[in-house]
Amino acid sequence: MNVVLRAIGNVFWSMPKGLAVTFKHLFKKPVTLDYPHQKKPMSPRYRGLHYLERYDDGSERCVCCGLCAAACPADCIYMEPEENEKGERRARIYEINMLRCIFCGYCEEACPEEAIFLGREYEFSDYDRDSFIYTKVQMLVTSPRKDNPFKWIIRKVRRVYGVPEPSL
Amino acid sequence: MAEAVTKKAPSNKATVTLTIDGRSVTVDKGTTVLEAARSLGIHVPTFCWHPKLKSVGSCRMCYVEIEKMPKLQVSCATEAMDGMVVATDSDLVKQGRRAVIEFILMNHPLDCPTCDQGGECQLQDLTFAHAIDDSRFAFQKERFVEDGSVSTFDDVQIGPEIMLNRNRCIQCYKCVRANKEAFGEFDLGAFERGNITEINAAPGRQVDNPFSGNLAEICPVGALTGMDWRYKIRVWLTKTVSSICPFTASGVNTLMYMDETKNRIYRTTSRRNDEIDDGWLSNVSRYAYQVVHADDRLLTPFIRRDGKQVEATWDEALDLIAKRLSDIQDQKGCVCIGGLVSPRLDNATLYGFNKLMRHVIGTNNVDYRTEYRMLPQTPEDHYQAACSQPIRISDVDDSDVIVVFGSDMLKEHPNLYLRIRKAFNFGAARIFILNPYSTKASDVAELEMVYHAGMDEVALGAVCLTAVEKGIVSSDETDRLREAIAFDSASAAALACGLEPDHLELMARAMAEARKVTFLAGEIISRSREREPIAAAICNLNRLFSINTKGQFGILPGHSNSRGAHHLGLAPDPPASIKAKLRSLWGQYPDTETNTTDSMMVQMRKEEIDGLIIMGANPVMLYPDRAFARESLEKLDFLVVSDLFETETTELADVVLPLSSWAEYTGDYVNLEGRVQTASKAIHPIGDSRPGYAIVEAIADRLENTLYTAEDYRRDEIDTMLEVDTACPVPNLYVPSKGGQDEDDAEYPIALMIGDDPHHRGHYTEKSASLTSHVGEAYLELSPDLAAGHEIKEGDSVRIESPVGKVVLPARISEHIRNDIVFVPRNFPSAPVTSLLMRKRRIDRVRISKVVR
Ligand code: SF4
Ligand code: SF4
Ligand code: SF4
Ligand code: FES
Repeated sequence: MNVVLRAIGNVFWSMPKGLAVTFKHLFKKPVTLDYPHQKKPMSPRYRGLHYLERYDDGSERCVCCGLCAAACPADCIYMEPEENEKGERRARIYEINMLRCIFCGYCEEACPEEAIFLGREYEFSDYDRDSFIYTKVQMLVTSPRKDNPFKWIIRKVRRVYGVPEPSL
Repeated sequence: MAEAVTKKAPSNKATVTLTIDGRSVTVDKGTTVLEAARSLGIHVPTFCWHPKLKSVGSCRMCYVEIEKMPKLQVSCATEAMDGMVVATDSDLVKQGRRAVIEFILMNHPLDCPTCDQGGECQLQDLTFAHAIDDSRFAFQKERFVEDGSVSTFDDVQIGPEIMLNRNRCIQCYKCVRANKEAFGEFDLGAFERGNITEINAAPGRQVDNPFSGNLAEICPVGALTGMDWRYKIRVWLTKTVSSICPFTASGVNTLMYMDETKNRIYRTTSRRNDEIDDGWLSNVSRYAYQVVHADDRLLTPFIRRDGKQVEATWDEALDLIAKRLSDIQDQKGCVCIGGLVSPRLDNATLYGFNKLMRHVIGTNNVDYRTEYRMLPQTPEDHYQAACSQPIRISDVDDSDVIVVFGSDMLKEHPNLYLRIRKAFNFGAARIFILNPYSTKASDVAELEMVYHAGMDEVALGAVCLTAVEKGIVSSDETDRLREAIAFDSASAAALACGLEPDHLELMARAMAEARKVTFLAGEIISRSREREPIAAAICNLNRLFSINTKGQFGILPGHSNSRGAHHLGLAPDPPASIKAKLRSLWGQYPDTETNTTDSMMVQMRKEEIDGLIIMGANPVMLYPDRAFARESLEKLDFLVVSDLFETETTELADVVLPLSSWAEYTGDYVNLEGRVQTASKAIHPIGDSRPGYAIVEAIADRLENTLYTAEDYRRDEIDTMLEVDTACPVPNLYVPSKGGQDEDDAEYPIALMIGDDPHHRGHYTEKSASLTSHVGEAYLELSPDLAAGHEIKEGDSVRIESPVGKVVLPARISEHIRNDIVFVPRNFPSAPVTSLLMRKRRIDRVRISKVVR
């Protein structure tokens, strides 16, 4: 008897109650996104794929000083300096192993030339491990980016008295 | 004649007691407060102070507070006084140092990211330590911009290996002072004053002196940096390994900076050892590491097949060696095998080689002197005696008379050369130089006496006779001395060798009056055919002036392990004490004929020696008769050569084995004092090369005769050998010292001297890019008058002809050389200069003519 009563209760009470929750969501804003067509807005402090910045005149900012590699806790930055045709110090090889990188942003913090930044790019899955070693060419921007609000803060904080920024 | 140079003699040994940071210390009078603090282990920061230079007090970094003195004092220039109370860490001192750094940073660009000094920069460290992150000097910094430079970096290259950035200079003047006080060079100077003071190369000159690499090392900031290190690697990524320079007989202590993952050495700096090098490296010692990484290192063994050398494996090569050697042994006997080894190799290699030749093969045809002509089969007593005298490098410092005889110190022993300069600049030394041609050391010499080439023993005899005739020294047996010298009077001897009698008298008086004499003879003597009579003359001089009782004398060994080779019995007929020891170690010792390099070559021509093993030596290039050496080696049935590179000698070889360099294994070397020093393994062997000791042991294994039963046996045996006393007594009587002379040949009037260039040593250094950037090709050094006589101008091609050969070289005109002599460096394979030499001559003579196009 009890069993019969419980079955009737399930069908006519619990099921509609559950479905009501379901149907209610038809009229609510969804929490999921239609990724990749839609993307979630990001925190301004998001740390994604690195990029190497340029000066306004187009020359590379990175001088291959090695401080980012020294600061890197995952030890994933490798570089070799060279002397460019003007006799200036530049990176001949600059590589980051993105599989080892933990995106802590210490490199950005360490960089005295404001050359490396962690950008907003996070879609860089690939099919083989080798392609996660990002080279200088892959990371170097084609023209100076201005989109990182932190850049301007860092530059404000920097104490350079009367010395124009080199080659700006 | 020049007056005796009077300088303060460091005889005064009074002491003073002072208190530093609450601790009391007693130091010699004349010590600075800074040194007193250092002796307590208290670190006072400095920029301009250098332990081996005079204090100038130009940077003010070393401020300390001294009670009763109103202001802070620079400790590096303040003499310690009795009862001083010094504080090195008070608030006032810290404030003072902060202010100094702030001031130094006034014009400093702080471009550390691009600066090669970053990570090892004293300014960086001290700025950080004093927590300075701000400046009150808020105006445009002074910047030195090179005219026409497109770079934003303001770097200027002022020498083949030196990069200058004047913006970073903190005006400590260490570079200029070291150049002047320690090296006696004037190619770098300080110009202008105040804000625009700049260090730069002297007008119209390059900073390319043989010690220039030190300038980059001692610069406390990144103003002077080395080109070899430029933009290669950060210092914190490298590991340091202590090593020894294998190109100097003093065994200069070095530190190699290497990267383990890349198996690469990046630079060499000094590992200061006050007993040997005072912290200075010659460029040869500094840039020699590049030899290790030269592109054309031999990487695999080669075997000659059908007349061509083809790559082979070690097994093939060793099997072939074992087979051919045993064939020769079976057919003709073990005396038909010989071995030549380079005295630049370490003890284990040399000893192993000796054991292989003598114990396993059973021959006495072993020699390590492949660059000397006409070595006799039985050792010469006086030469041995003069070579085996104890020498201490640091004893040069406080000698009051230093005599250099038959040695171009700068080229042969750069660190002794600096010692001699130091003895002159900082001590009270009077320096006399006796050479067949004028040398670079002459500017510190009270007297440089240039005698006629080939008159070495006569020159010394003239000194002795002058001393006796003028009554400067009293000696018994003067008749015997006269007889020994084979000249009746001093004036006759002086005339024969071309020296002034009053010069001789001055030198004799100085030597007689001196408290401590250092008498050093070098390669010009050792390379001479008449080395024995000259050594006898040295012994006579020693006896007359009792040099060995009041100082030291000796003929210096030429290579980094010549002493070791001698101790380990690598000579064909080693001293009896060594033979006895070897016999007791091995249970036997061959009693076959003993053959030197020379007599081996003679036997090769007679086909009495058929098999030869050469290790690290290059007789074809460096034996003083190229044609003779080459023809002899060509006669061999079987030649094994082990070397770092393809050389003139490996070309003739049937088997070529790749040898590891000194940086690729740990080895011990015995320097000219007899000091055993270790060069540690910095990197793994390049390619398939193997250390010398491994090669000889492998050959012995294939000959079914293991050299050692256990690893530590090698060490034990070598240690026992090094303990053997090999010093030969100096003769107690005057010994005949008349040397033979060549017949005159009017057709070839000019004496030819062959030696090392100041930037090179032997046949390897030519592979070092930094050294060839200083001097990259052979040249003919001749006097202005001689050049004018032949209408030769600097850089002209000159044909040099001897009876046996002809070489064309560019001319280099030098004030330093006499009219009847020319000098040619032997370090460049492209210029086969030993083909001009004849091994039987005492002095090689040539004629020169300008090549007209
Ligand atoms: S990115 Fe910045 S910190 Fe890294 S090497 Fe380049 S300049 Fe130095
Ligand atoms: S010398 Fe070079 S490393 Fe030292 S503080 Fe100056 S720029 Fe920085
Ligand atoms: S270049 Fe270097 S060593 Fe010379 S004065 Fe300047 S800072 Fe001192
Ligand atoms: S170290 Fe004393 S003033 Fe420079």
